[in-house]
Amino acid sequence: MTARRKSPAKPLKKTLPLLLLAAPGLLYFLINSYFPMFGVFIAFKDVNYAKGIFGSDWIGLKNFTFLFQTSDAWIMTRNTLLYNLVFIALGTVVSILIAILMSELLTKLYSKLFMTGLILPNLISMIVLSLLVFAFLNADSGFVNHSILRPLGLPEINWYSEPKYWPYLLVLIQLWKTAGYGSIVYFASIAGIDKSIYESAKIDGAGKLKQIRMITLPLLKPTVIVLVLMSMGRIFNSDFGLFYQVPMNSGALFSTTQTIDTYVYRALMQLNDIGMSAAAGLYQSVVGFALVLTVNAIVKKVNPENALF
Amino acid sequence: MMNKKGLGSLLLSTMICGSLLSACGGNSNTSSTDSASGEAKPKPAEIVFALPSFNRIPDDLSKVTDAINAITTEKIGVKVDFRLFGPADYAQKVNLALQSGEKMDVFTTLGQFSNYVSKSQVAPLEELLPEHGKELTAILEKDFGADILKTTTMDGHVYGIPVNKGMALPTNFIYNADMLSQAGVAADGIQSVEDLSNVFAAVKEKLPDVVPFGPISVNPTETGIVNWMKGASKVDYLTDTTGVGVVIGDSGKVVNFYETDVFQKGIQMMRDWYDAGYLQKDTATTTITAMEMISSGRGFSFLGGYSGMEVGKQLSAQVGKNIETKRIAPFYFDTSAVNSVTWMVSSTSKQTEAAVKFLNLLYTDKDLINTILFGIEGEDYVKVDDHHVKFPDGLDANTVPYTAMLSSGIVGSESLQYQLEGINWSDVELKLKENKDTARSPYFGFIFDQGEVKTQISAVNNVVSQYLPALVSGSVDPGEIIPKFVSALKDAGAQAIIDSKQKQLDEWLAAQK
Repeated sequence: MTARRKSPAKPLKKTLPLLLLAAPGLLYFLINSYFPMFGVFIAFKDVNYAKGIFGSDWIGLKNFTFLFQTSDAWIMTRNTLLYNLVFIALGTVVSILIAILMSELLTKLYSKLFMTGLILPNLISMIVLSLLVFAFLNADSGFVNHSILRPLGLPEINWYSEPKYWPYLLVLIQLWKTAGYGSIVYFASIAGIDKSIYESAKIDGAGKLKQIRMITLPLLKPTVIVLVLMSMGRIFNSDFGLFYQVPMNSGALFSTTQTIDTYVYRALMQLNDIGMSAAAGLYQSVVGFALVLTVNAIVKKVNPENALF
Repeated sequence: MMNKKGLGSLLLSTMICGSLLSACGGNSNTSSTDSASGEAKPKPAEIVFALPSFNRIPDDLSKVTDAINAITTEKIGVKVDFRLFGPADYAQKVNLALQSGEKMDVFTTLGQFSNYVSKSQVAPLEELLPEHGKELTAILEKDFGADILKTTTMDGHVYGIPVNKGMALPTNFIYNADMLSQAGVAADGIQSVEDLSNVFAAVKEKLPDVVPFGPISVNPTETGIVNWMKGASKVDYLTDTTGVGVVIGDSGKVVNFYETDVFQKGIQMMRDWYDAGYLQKDTATTTITAMEMISSGRGFSFLGGYSGMEVGKQLSAQVGKNIETKRIAPFYFDTSAVNSVTWMVSSTSKQTEAAVKFLNLLYTDKDLINTILFGIEGEDYVKVDDHHVKFPDGLDANTVPYTAMLSSGIVGSESLQYQLEGINWSDVELKLKENKDTARSPYFGFIFDQGEVKTQISAVNNVVSQYLPALVSGSVDPGEIIPKFVSALKDAGAQAIIDSKQKQLDEWLAAQK
């Protein structure tokens, strides 16, 4: 009797703490990611508030057309994709670099201190950051024009109307803001590497650089792959603050600062049409999803162990 | 202390009165507070009223809300949940409430009239107005003329109540009068925009550190320059803000404004000013408004649309400089000039009757409107005479507990509102007179239904925000950029908007005969 009663209870007893631990996360996803999915059909409706969302007319793919209406469609897609690719590539490289330096060069106390300093930019709001950037690049009194170019006798640059500088500026700003934060995961994985491997490598005469190349980097590979895969899913989304606030919404810069998110915002500001904005969001998500699947499939082909699923 | 006690008992008595009155009035929302007598009486209808405030928003609105409720529960049996948002948040907060189904009954459009209508977000009012909005309709017709509600009528339904204020906003040249006399220029010589170049040249010569001219804002829809062009050349934007479908004069032909000579000439003028150094280098992106420039002493002038003649005094008080204004172009009444500030009732509102009663009171009750704008007498303002008020001793616009009086242009009847001490009362009368007298577009009353071209409009919006700010601020070469702008608009589907508008306009004109 007792044995029979015990056996189904035992797994639950074992898993209950874990379930409880996971519960807030599960709830979060359920509420924020799964329930809203029911709203996807808004993208295919001509929302009319009198008829209600369910009563509104279906209009097929009409809501999507505005995304491809202008010649800007190509520019914004290109910008979104290229910026994100650069962010992912450079961001990963710089984050790993920071993580390795942190773990190799410093004592625990120092690394904590530096880590805090590196994470700080991530906590600054994009609005504040945009003002910081403005203080540097302002045409009249900005630091760069006023205190660097002018004293050197160089021609001043009207930063906010010269699109060609912005790809570099945006990448730089994004790196400054996110690289420190991004390095935490790598730092943690490095800390998890068995120290005895390094010991034996040292005995075999491997220098610091060789240790990094032969031990740290290969062991980081799974982490890198997982993180890159995850960021692939958001490749059609962009940080609105970075692309809208930081260039001060300057029209002259659109050729290099316009992304899908800012386009949607600008185009729909006046219209306030939730059908069209839902369409844009769905489009971004579907493409992101497809990309994750593709990249995962490729990874699986090359090295099945490192694939996400 | 005495004051507070008095207010409390007043409140209590009016609450009781109000609930007694409302017993015979509208259906009530189910909120349960037990009434003193223990009888089940219908509660006053509750509505949410959202007002944009262009002043600082106080943390605690409860006193003002209570004072408003004291008036409304007594007079019409309506309890008002008063919300105050900054102008930047306002549309967003209202839209969020409308979309999420949160309670939101009475709100203003801030330029989005046909948008709200086309999505059925607002309730038709024509059946309620004859019963609950009689006085309101009469006042509007008296001050504007009989066809005023045409500007808020679509498909035979009245969707909005325009604000009764000076709506004719002639383009004014607003300048620092001290600097003008320092530059040795007589104000009498400034009659039209053509006279400005010489003024700027003189100011720049005498005061090299001062920026002679600043655009009021480079937001595509509300630049002084664009408004000047509209007024001086009789341009009717035909109720959307993109500018790709406009009619100039009474030609009846819908054209792309950005391809017209009027636009090219105006932009060329700005370019000339920019090249001559009359504008700041970063006008296209600056976040500093011309007003701030003037109040800091670095700016000399800007163009703005203001009704009445007394605006210089108000501005002087605000910026702490000796500001004067000169009208340099007339206003041109088109439909959006009226329906861009229109009070509406949400289509999801369960209290449309109460909402209309409240709106009616906004246009007819002096106490209500002034409580909303100025707050509580004795604490937020003191009366000087019948029409004028001032801040209590030792307080000013920045330190007074409550003030929304900068929002006076968007709510109720201007003729009921107090003015700050020193403002000539005849100005209010002049404004209302000008509402009737100012030239009207022959297409006054036409409202464009954007439904069938909304994809194109969204694309065009984006193109406009890309090119227009740089053009109106003169910071790019118009000869090179305007053709690019126009071709980008064509790509975005400008022609479809023009065609759709022309079709609707022709139908509208045919129906007028």
